[in-house]
Amino acid sequence: MQQMSRTLAHTIVALAFMALLTLACLQVPGEWNWSGVWEYRQKFLQGWLVTLGLSLAALVLSVLIGLVVALLLAARNPLVEAVGRIYVELIRGTPLLVQLLLGFYVIANAVGLENRFVVGTLVLAAFSGAYMAEIFRGGLDAIPKTQRDSARAIGLTRWQSFRLVILPQAIRLVLPAVAGQLVSLIKDSSLLSVIAISELTLNAQEVNSFTYSTLESYLPLAVGYLLLTLPLSAASRRLEMAFRYER
Amino acid sequence: MQLALQGANQLLTRLAQAILITFLAVAGMLSPSEGSQPLHVGMELSYPPFEMTDTGGKPTGVSVRLAEALGEYLGREVVIENIAFDGLIPALRTGTIDCIISSMTATAERARSIAFSEPYLTTGLTLLVGKDSPIKSADDLDQPGIRVAVKIGTTAHKFAARDLKRAQVFVLNRESAAVLEVIQGKVDAFIYDSLSIYRHHRRHPDTTRAFLKPIREETWAIGLRKGDEELRQQINGFLKQFRADGGFEKLGNEFLPEAKAFFTKNNIPFYF
Amino acid sequence: MQLTIHHLTQQFGKVRVLDDLSLETGSVGSLVLVGPSGGGKSTLLRILAGLDVPTSGTIEIDNAGLPRDENGLRAYRRTVGTVFQSYNLFPHLSARENLILPLVHVHGLTREAALEQIREPLERFQLAGHADKRPAELSGGQNQRIAILRAMVVRPTRLFLDEPTSALDPEMTAEVLDMIEALKGTGTDFVLVTHAMHFARRVADEIAFIGDGGVLAHGTADAVFDHCDNARVTSFFTKVLQ
Repeated sequence: MQQMSRTLAHTIVALAFMALLTLACLQVPGEWNWSGVWEYRQKFLQGWLVTLGLSLAALVLSVLIGLVVALLLAARNPLVEAVGRIYVELIRGTPLLVQLLLGFYVIANAVGLENRFVVGTLVLAAFSGAYMAEIFRGGLDAIPKTQRDSARAIGLTRWQSFRLVILPQAIRLVLPAVAGQLVSLIKDSSLLSVIAISELTLNAQEVNSFTYSTLESYLPLAVGYLLLTLPLSAASRRLEMAFRYER
Repeated sequence: MQLALQGANQLLTRLAQAILITFLAVAGMLSPSEGSQPLHVGMELSYPPFEMTDTGGKPTGVSVRLAEALGEYLGREVVIENIAFDGLIPALRTGTIDCIISSMTATAERARSIAFSEPYLTTGLTLLVGKDSPIKSADDLDQPGIRVAVKIGTTAHKFAARDLKRAQVFVLNRESAAVLEVIQGKVDAFIYDSLSIYRHHRRHPDTTRAFLKPIREETWAIGLRKGDEELRQQINGFLKQFRADGGFEKLGNEFLPEAKAFFTKNNIPFYF
Repeated sequence: MQLTIHHLTQQFGKVRVLDDLSLETGSVGSLVLVGPSGGGKSTLLRILAGLDVPTSGTIEIDNAGLPRDENGLRAYRRTVGTVFQSYNLFPHLSARENLILPLVHVHGLTREAALEQIREPLERFQLAGHADKRPAELSGGQNQRIAILRAMVVRPTRLFLDEPTSALDPEMTAEVLDMIEALKGTGTDFVLVTHAMHFARRVADEIAFIGDGGVLAHGTADAVFDHCDNARVTSFFTKVLQ
């Protein structure tokens, strides 16, 4: 078989998947009510925009939180390290659903924070941030000790070492994992519907219930998420290429 | 002599009855009708006291009793399928269940997809209002700045989406979350059916108020597939008989004694 | 340079890597440390290079004591150069950028001045053609040579080299050793830890055999290799110089 171009191969396989999916859909009895879904396209768009906004904000915040917590985890002071460790274990060990419900109805309520978008974004960012922290920590640990020694040996301060030597290498190491985590974040944002944030999944469910459809809403829903996650994956692969150590 | 004749008469009648019953029983067993197949009844078991589970996890409640009585009437075994509310109609249409007895309101919209029996209960949309909320009557509901919560898929949801133009609507998938939001003042009102609203208010008397006069009346009916005319006739027949026999009275007394007393006292129309 | 080390001890937890080590050299251009693995020679080098602080003991190099606080040590490290066995260079930067990094960020040169300063050394050691490659694109020998250059371009007082050829194959080892020998020719003082015994003999003004945390032999190359009466030392050389 001749060497096929990447793009061609991807297109063929994607089309094959879609064909299989269509075949499966045709097996479901009853007609498909696409007109109902088209009628509500405004709702889909609104939900998609909310998901986009939420995800972007939570994305940026979670990277920041991850960085801070990773530094906490690397600290020599045992109290500081403990704060980081307990945070990571609690967040990773409990479901996001529980964190959202407790976060909005208990914690945010106690401190008087009413805006559900803000609370939802914060909870989502804190959730993802814990995973980011572990990814960053792993990245930092993976850098050979001699790199730090080399940096010190040429007389760089700790901050300079971190900024010029460690950080750039760590970024290259963690880029694939971070991109994966960000894609997860976009999909996890669907859970914010439990505190009545009108994001894409909730809107799709509403359309489903308004039109008594079984599945019609879920297909545009999947497409909606792909529109957000695919560009992210592509951008991440692009960055990985650019930052490779070989040219 | 007369006694002997009477005795013979009775014996013959009894004999005739026995033959008739046997004949019918055999006929019933031989005929390949639906009569022998179990009746799958769909409901969401999260709506006490109509659809719920007892402490052992067995389905129980008004709708479950109704389903069991229906099964008896039809001579069919009843299987209760626990399905989320907005999945009931799809399940009916694909044949997973044969009918829906889940405190479902018969709306014109739903009637486009499925058929309904005669209504068996009248209720309405009512409000659970936070104690600090500015809502003083149902007229205050559709005002700018008012926040309203509804449960996804319910008639309250449809009502809010279509008819509330100025108030802000929050859609939740859990009744408990909606109540919490009212209590915490995150929304001004939760629109739901009168019985639940009554119960929630009873549980949280200091933080909520209940407006139990329906802002919209609704009837509940049993949902069926379109074209399933035979079953529909059977169910209508059952409902008529059940009501005549006082079945609904008994259900009211068994499951809703307090609410019944309260509603009657306050001149709010009770269900059955 | 002249080194005076008195009762140097380095302890890590329960392990005492250097145990009351004392050494006094003459005025030398090159000091080579040899000995078995784990004997303490790398540990000693790290202390001399200002990377680690000893548990106890004193060190004077050219009559100046080594600082014991981090700030003082960092200032000291800026005046010397250190080359490790591997992973010296920063992989995300080209060779050229690796070279100018200390000049720009530590010694305050502008980028242009730094680029100018490295031009001649790059040419002298035939590395100019590789300057824009990243370490992953260079051979092991080229990597080490660039690492030595990087240590050199800041015009250090002396160099410390910790087994610079141990990770290289014989051909690359030779090119690096040639460069070190050339350095000797330019008058740069250095302390070298190595297993390349023949090379050690050739370039060392003085050799110190470090074993069991102390100095087991010390003197000129001839004295240590041929006239040592420490059984441990002689048996080591016999094995290594097969």
